[in-house]
Amino acid sequence: MIDSLCDQAAGKDIAVVGLYCDFLAQKEQSATSMLGAILKQLVTRGETPEHIREAFQKAKREFGGRGLRLSEMIEILKKAITSLHRIFVCIDALDELAPRYRLELLESLQEMVRISSNMRVLLTGRPHIDDEVMEYFSKAIRIPVTPTQDDIKSYLEMRLKRDATPKAMDAQLRADVMRVIPERISEM
Amino acid sequence: MSGRQQVIGNANSFNTLNNYNNIVNIDAGLDAERDQILRWLSPLEPQQRHEGVRTDRLDSVGDWVLENNEFRKWCDTEDGCVEPVLFCCGNPGVGKTYLR
Repeated sequence: MIDSLCDQAAGKDIAVVGLYCDFLAQKEQSATSMLGAILKQLVTRGETPEHIREAFQKAKREFGGRGLRLSEMIEILKKAITSLHRIFVCIDALDELAPRYRLELLESLQEMVRISSNMRVLLTGRPHIDDEVMEYFSKAIRIPVTPTQDDIKSYLEMRLKRDATPKAMDAQLRADVMRVIPERISEM
Repeated sequence: MSGRQQVIGNANSFNTLNNYNNIVNIDAGLDAERDQILRWLSPLEPQQRHEGVRTDRLDSVGDWVLENNEFRKWCDTEDGCVEPVLFCCGNPGVGKTYLR
């Protein structure tokens, strides 16, 4: 989805940024560092905005480069996106973020979306965080994701093609794999 | 006369070289500051994970989402005329990460 949005945004004043949450990185992935990663991607796009450079120099003077607090990060981010026509923020696997940080991040996004009408947010996650997301974004558009039969078949074909020991499988087994797995998945 | 020309010539090339060096140094200084700023903003490197997903993704899988009306509206509609938040939810392993 990030790539499709990027293709669409190419050449326009539209930024597409992506964040991936990971159980194994729960400690590092705080709301602040996640929002910081959005800024990082914006800074990488072009010149460093003056207000970010100033904030950095100030932090450097004050405490040898102390990090930003969440509220400061939100303010800087809000300012950084005002010059854009639109920004798409895509956050994958929100459920993998530590619960405390997840709520902080949702709250921050809620505030930013309210103020910045040029911001769109795409979240993906498991159904159990549905209530949480709805609490912050009661009108969010929900798209349930389930693979189509064609998706499953394409994936299986790819995996069979890349099988390291193809001779271990005869044509019958191959046919069974292609038939049974898609059937079972659609029963899930 | 020709000796003087020579000197000016040399001086000029020296200047050019010097200017060039200055430019390089300023650029290097800005780059170093930029790297510091990037590190200061966040230790996370989501681009790396994105490259991994891009490489492993199977083309055409999940394309139905891109055709989905709700998704298209969310992408294309002007600001203020569409709900800005889209939530794709699904069980583990259904391929949410790998939607193109």
